[in-house]
Formats: sequence, C-alpha cells, structure tokens
Amino acid sequence: MPYPFWDVMVGYGPLMAAIAVIHVFVSHFAIGGGLYLVVAERSARKAGDEGRLLFVKKLSKFFVLTTVVFGALTGVMIWFIIGLLNPKGTEALIHNFVWAWATEWTFFFVEILAAILYFYGWKRMSAKNHMRIGWIYFWAAWASLVVIVGIITFMLTPGKWLETGNFWDGFLNPTYASSVFFRTGVCILMAGLFALLVAARYEAGDLKTRLVRGNTLWALAGLLIAGACWFWYKASIPDATWLTAKHQLSIAASALERFQWATYLLFALLAVLGLLLARMWNTVFAILLMVVGLYWFGSYEWFRESARKPYVIPGYMYANGMRVGDEAAWRRDGLLSHVDFRTGDDGADLWRYSCRTCHQVDGYNPVKQAFDHTDPGFIAGSILGIHKMKRALDPFPGSEKIRKPMPPFMGSEEEAKILAEWLWERVDQRPMHEAAGLSGPELGAAVYELRCARCHAIDGPDGLRDPLEGESEEDLREFLSDPADGMPALSGDERDQQALLDFILGWYESEKGGE
Amino acid sequence: MTTTCPTLLAALPDYDILPGPLWLIVTLHLLTLTLHFVAMNFMLGGIVIVLFGRIENRWQNPVVRRYLKLFPSLMAATVSIGVAPLLFAQLTYGGPVYAASIVSAWLWLLIPLVAMIGYYFLYGSAFAKEGNPRVKVWVSVALLCLLYVSLVYSSVFSMAERPEVQKAVYEGNPSGFALNPNVGDWIWRWLHMVTGAVTVGAFLVGVLGRNDEQVFKAAKRFMLGGLILASVTGVLYLLTLGDHLKPFMKSSGIWTMTVGIVLSLGMLHFFFKKKFWGAGAMIFVSLGAMVLTRHALRLVVLPEAQNPSTPYEGKVVPQWDVFGIFLACFLVALYLVYWMLKTYFTDHEGET
Ligand code: HEC
Ligand code: HEC
Repeated sequence: MPYPFWDVMVGYGPLMAAIAVIHVFVSHFAIGGGLYLVVAERSARKAGDEGRLLFVKKLSKFFVLTTVVFGALTGVMIWFIIGLLNPKGTEALIHNFVWAWATEWTFFFVEILAAILYFYGWKRMSAKNHMRIGWIYFWAAWASLVVIVGIITFMLTPGKWLETGNFWDGFLNPTYASSVFFRTGVCILMAGLFALLVAARYEAGDLKTRLVRGNTLWALAGLLIAGACWFWYKASIPDATWLTAKHQLSIAASALERFQWATYLLFALLAVLGLLLARMWNTVFAILLMVVGLYWFGSYEWFRESARKPYVIPGYMYANGMRVGDEAAWRRDGLLSHVDFRTGDDGADLWRYSCRTCHQVDGYNPVKQAFDHTDPGFIAGSILGIHKMKRALDPFPGSEKIRKPMPPFMGSEEEAKILAEWLWERVDQRPMHEAAGLSGPELGAAVYELRCARCHAIDGPDGLRDPLEGESEEDLREFLSDPADGMPALSGDERDQQALLDFILGWYESEKGGE
Repeated sequence: MTTTCPTLLAALPDYDILPGPLWLIVTLHLLTLTLHFVAMNFMLGGIVIVLFGRIENRWQNPVVRRYLKLFPSLMAATVSIGVAPLLFAQLTYGGPVYAASIVSAWLWLLIPLVAMIGYYFLYGSAFAKEGNPRVKVWVSVALLCLLYVSLVYSSVFSMAERPEVQKAVYEGNPSGFALNPNVGDWIWRWLHMVTGAVTVGAFLVGVLGRNDEQVFKAAKRFMLGGLILASVTGVLYLLTLGDHLKPFMKSSGIWTMTVGIVLSLGMLHFFFKKKFWGAGAMIFVSLGAMVLTRHALRLVVLPEAQNPSTPYEGKVVPQWDVFGIFLACFLVALYLVYWMLKTYFTDHEGET
C-alpha cells in the first residue's frame, strides 16, 4: 500500500455519495439536455413559435451554467475524491482503462466547446449552423456516456476480464449494453425535469401550459425508456451477482426496493401534475419532481454501488483497496509490512487500512456497539472471522445467509490482537452484567445477542439449536473455548460467560418439561 | 514494501499494468500539461493585468470588456484540458502525486470547489452590464480563487517530489489538513508559476489590445516585469534544491531550461514589435520547454523507487487497438473544434 490513508472525520460512504449523487444528476441532464435543446429548437423554428424559441434560449443559458461549470467541476471533484478515498482502486482502473478515459476526454472537450458556442451563437449564427453545433454537442456528450459506462459497469460485473485481463472483456462486460440504454433513458428524463423547472417560472397562460405538457411528455418518454431497459439490465446481471445483491446485501436490496417504488411514484406524479394539472404548474411541483427524480436515480446508483460490496472491483479488489490475490501473502507477512505510510500507532494504522473505509468506531456504520462490554480476545476473534459475519435476523424471508459484506482481515493473528486492543480502548469496557444491571436469563440473552447473534441465528437451517442439542455444560464450555476457524473463543467476564451458557442450555429445558 | 511471492501472484489476477509504452504516456502527459498551462496562463495572467494594469476607465475599456467576456471560456478550456494531464499523471508518477494529495486531502478536494466559485464569479463579470461597480470585486474574488488553486497545486506537487516529507507530515497529521511545511520548497516555485502566467497572459492581452495604445503598453510592462520576476523566482527555486542542484545541472533539464529562457527573450522581442505569430509560437515552445524542465527536475529529485518506470518493468501490456480509437477520436475532435470555431467566427447570418 504505497498510499497514506486519509483519516477524515466523516464516513467515506456519505462523503462519496454527497459528491457523486449531485454530479450524476447534472451529468445525465447534460446529455439529455443537449438532445432536448436541439429537438426543441428545431420544432419551434419549424412551427415559427417565437415563444417556445425564447424558452429554448433561456434554457440554454441555464444549461451552460449548470453543465459546463457545475457538471464539469463536480466531475473533476469525483476524480479527486476517488483518488483520495480509494487510491488503489483508482490506480487499478486508470491503468487498465486509461485509453478509454482519454477517448472520453476528447468527447468531453468537444462537448464543452460546443455548449459554449451554442449558447453564444444564438444571436450570431444562422439557424442551420446553430443547430449543427447543437447536434455536435449532443452526440459528443452521448459518446462520452457510451465510454464511461464501460468503466462504471465494469466495477459491478467485470466478467471475463477477471480471467483474461483483456481490455475488451472488461469494457464490454455483461451489464454494459443495457446500461448504456438505461442511462440514455435517464438522460432524457433528467432533461425533461430540468426543463419543467425552467417552465415553472413562466407566467400562467397558454404558452406555459403547452410547455409544461410538452416537457412532461418528454420526461415520461425518458422514464419509459429507462423502465423498459431496466428489465434488460436486470436480466443482464449474472445470476450470482443478482442473488447476492438481492438476498445477501441488505443495503443493495433496500435500495432496489426504493428504486422500484420511486419509479411508480415518479410516473404517477408526472402524469397527474404535468398532464392533468398542467395549468397549475408551479415551482413547488417542479422541485417536488426534481427531488423524487433525484431520489429515484440516487437509489439506483446506491443499489449499483452497494451490490458490489465488499469489493470495488468484484473478485479482484476489495473496497479498502486490498487485492484479493494478495490475501495469503499479506496474512503471512502481516499487513503493516506492506504499508508505506505508518503513523507510529499500529492499532490505528491497522484500523485505517482494514476497516476505516467502511466504518467509523462511533459514527458512520459504527462498530462500537458490537464490541462494547466484550474483551480483547473476543474482538480479536471477531476480526479474524469478520468476513464470516452474517446477519442473524433475516430481513428477507427465504434466504438463508445474510452476509455482512466485509473483506477478510488481511493481517496476521498478532495484528488482529493489536487492532483488538486498540478498539477495546475505545469501547465501554464494563462487563454486560455491570453495564446493563441484568442477571439470570435476561443477562444470558443480552450476552448471546452481543457475542453470538452477529454470526448465528438460534433457529433456522443454519441455527445453533440443533448442533448444540444434548450438550452438557462441560461439553459446551469446551467446544466454545476452542471453536471453529473464524469464530471467537469464549472469553471475558466470568459472570457473563456463565449466564450465556445457562441461556443456551435453557433452550432445551422447556422442551424437556413439555415431554 | 516487501515483495510478494511471485509464484503466488502468478496464479491470482494481477493486472497492475501499463497499457502503453512509458514514453508515449509521458509525451501525452507533457503535451496536454503544456496546453493546460497555456489556457491557465491566459486566464490567470489576464486577470492580473486587467485588475492591476494602468488603464484609464478600466471597466469601460473595450479591450478589458472583451477580455472579461473571454474569461469563462478560458476557464472552461483550463479545466477541460487539465483533466488529461491529471489522468496521465497516474500512469507516470501517480504514486507520489496521489500520496501527496492525500496528505493535503481537504485542501486538495477544495480545489475543484474553489475553482467553481471562481468560475461563477467570472461568469458574473462576463454577464454584468457595463459600469456595474461590482465587477471589480468579482474579478478580484476570482483571482483569489485561482491563487488558492495554484498554491495548493504547488504545495502538493512539491511534496510529491519529497516522499520523506510526505511521510513526516502524514505521521503528525493524517487528517488531510496539511500543506507542505517546508514553505521554502514551494513558495518560489509557486511565485515562479504565477509570474510566468502574468508573462504569458500579457501576450493575449497585447494581442487583443494591439490597437489600444494604453492596453498594449500595460501588456508590455507586465510581460517584461513578469519575465524578470519569473527569472528571479526561478533561480531562487533552483537554489532551494540543495544537493539535487548538481545532478540537475547535468540532466537534460538544463538544456530545455536554456531553450525556454532564450525563447522567452525572443518572444519579448517579437511581441514588442507586434509580431504576434512569432511571439505566440515562441511562447508555446518555451512553455513546453519549461514543462520538460519540470519533468527532468522531478526525475532528478525523486528517489529511484518512485521513478515512473521502476514499478512497471516487465508489466507493459500495450492496448494498441484502444489507443488507435483514442487517436482517431482525438483527430476528429480537433477537426470539430476547428470547424466549430471557424463557423462561429465567420457565420454572422443570425445577427440581422
Ligand atoms: C467493505 C466495507 C467494510 C469493511 C472494509 C469492513 N466492514 Fe465491517 N461492516 C460492513 C458492513 C456493510 C456491515 C453491515 C452493517 C449493517 O449491518 O448494517 C459491517 C458490519 C460490521 C460489524 C457489525 C456491526 C453490528 O452492529 O452488527 C462489525 C463489528 C464490523 N463490521 C467490524 C469491522 C472490522 C473490525 C473491520 C476491519 C477489520 C471491518 N468491519 C471492515 C462493511 C465493512
Ligand atoms: C465472528 C463470527 C462468529 C461469532 C461471533 C460466533 N460464531 Fe460460532 N461460528 C462461526 C463460524 C465462522 C463457524 C464455522 C461454521 C460456519 O462457517 O458457519 C461457527 C460455528 C459454530 C458452531 C458449530 C455449528 C455447526 O453447525 O457445527 C456453533 C455451535 C457455534 N458456532 C456457536 C457459537 C456461539 C454459541 C457463539 C457465541 C458465544 C458463537 N458461535 C459466536 C462464527 C462465529
């Protein structure tokens, strides 16, 4: 790891999302808007409709100011932030796809110039040349989408690239084609939403109603294209990836649900407010639709991002920048021997490079509550088995294992202990009985929740009830003291331990009594 | 970093490759960086001269107003050309640059944000009605934004050349709020860049104001003054190199630097005689020479392990087909840029 780790005081997830969501929204608008402008200009000119032509002019000013400035610079910001948050991932992507990015850059360049000339050209050029520049703008912008989507989809479905390392295997990956068209639909929709915002500021009247209806139909067309392509996209995701996302990754699955119902909501709002109530169209409506649109598309992006957890490039590199292929060597040599930038606090460094990308101790996706009232032995054991953590409570009935999407700890056992000590200094060290003031079965249940339930359920196909049936207290203690790989041994406060054992043995007592 | 067992890696995916020969990538990096500097200098230098040049009725002066209208487009050019060298930088010396940017993470991340603020202020000035008194403030704010951006760049790129400084700074402060603490390392470098920008910016001011005596005089002054200051700060910067100065004097950098200096003087000569084509060509080549010097200097200063070619020995896997597509698109793009600009400047049919 030749890079330092940015120990920023907020979570990496929210930081990335804040920048990405805004950029993604504007950049899709930048493409769809290009098409909108030329098509609207052409039809207004053909119809000799001065009112609509003036509207297109106004929109183009707004368009240049948002896309050329805001869109371009938030795009640069994405470059900056991925380099800061995941320098290793960025390095891997650029090294394999630099020519694709360079190609995209040529389009980007044409796009920016065309947008500026289109805007300044209204009062200057002939209608024909003006529209030609508009078309150049649109095709350049769309071409940049066609390129960048190859890299974005690669990060979810790298396909055969994993075996071959070949550029085209990675670029033309399973979800590539469907994504291009899905996103094209999104672009069209976004343009309609932005145009509706500009139209809202018109005075009520025939022109405004006409504009609102036209723009709504435009947005609906985009939504329909995106909706239809969504099924294609879904079908193009390899089964394993899809099932994992839907049944094992709760963040991805809930984002998917949000995306689906937001689709209907968006459709309904457009139809009702934009078509039926077009005469009443106002800024509040427009902003409402923008927000729902942002939410809708944000959910999709959230789904795509979280569906590849714990990877940044599935099968190749984890979200914390560690390569899958390096695991054995790093476990053997120790993680810190591969880290160039050390701060002198080994525990903190291990935390940063292994966990901090996805967690804060206390804050974003915290781990504190999982380690409060435990002990360093338990924490170290959990760290070594971190990738086997499952969600005990099954939010999706029917699925057996809900993984917590974490990469394995890529350090030595000794380092797991160092990290555990470091974490333990940051949690509530009082034993459970003392902190919660519990005793008897309640204490046992609480200790079970803390020390077992993050990896096991009691009942169900993978539950503990069956395998532990018939064990004596002695056997149980012996088994738990020297457990399977990836599971922490029984440790910590004696009273808590006893309550836990009594609790487990208690599962079978009611059965005995009933017989 | 210890080396990992090669037999183990052979079996598992390791696609840490260089997708083309290093010389090609370095060439593209330096070429696009030069173009980025041209646009940036026209903008930054132009703003300085517009603000501080001795021009009566400054904000009513037609040349100044024309320049004001040009600033947003220069900003657009600076940003959009600038993306390319940043991209190629990851392949040429990405390790140290990315590492240094993480050490200064917050300040680095603010660059695009601050640039955006400057951008909007430039647009504000471009759209403002003649005589709007706020234009002066807006342009000044934009200048401050650009100075911030250039300052952080200078600090980060100077730190990129000094891995031991990165480590020391990071050890004391991993939260991303640090500049390069050895201000001597980069303050001259930064001033050299800014004064150089004034020199180059003066060229465009002079071209636009060739028929306005006062403006042209201001441009001449700033070009000469900028060149003198850039020389002084450049020498001071070289003096801070310490032990690296000797090897630098023996590297190719000393030649490219000489070419750069000679061409700048030539540019001054042609410019004063209003021979703009000659002066323009010389400016461009001299900027290119300075970019080459910068590169040579970096190779001298960076330890062997950080040398761009070291980590990729034996890992060059050229993707010629994709490169071919890039090249074709690049040529088409150049043609389209040419066609659009030509059309824009010749087609006045819509003005009636
Ligand atoms: C790729 C991102 C990622 C990395 C790296 C990662 N985790 Fe996690 N971790 C998660 C996610 C996602 C969850 C599930 C959160 C949830 O249940 O909502 C989680 C859950 C946990 C939990 C359970 C929290 C609870 O209350 O149930 C613990 C404990 C934990 N992680 C510890 C660690 C430690 C220690 C490391 C470093 C060795 C680490 N994680 C590395 C993503 C990550
Ligand atoms: C960090 C995760 C983790 C925690 C916490 C954990 N286990 Fe385990 N446990 C495992 C793993 C991993 C296995 C190996 C089998 C597997 O992969 O499911 C396992 C296996 C077992 C088995 C054997 C299951 C069988 O089918 O043979 C029992 C019984 C068990 N654990 C009980 C417990 C109890 C009781 C606790 C609480 C004291 C506990 N575990 C805490 C991860 C964990």
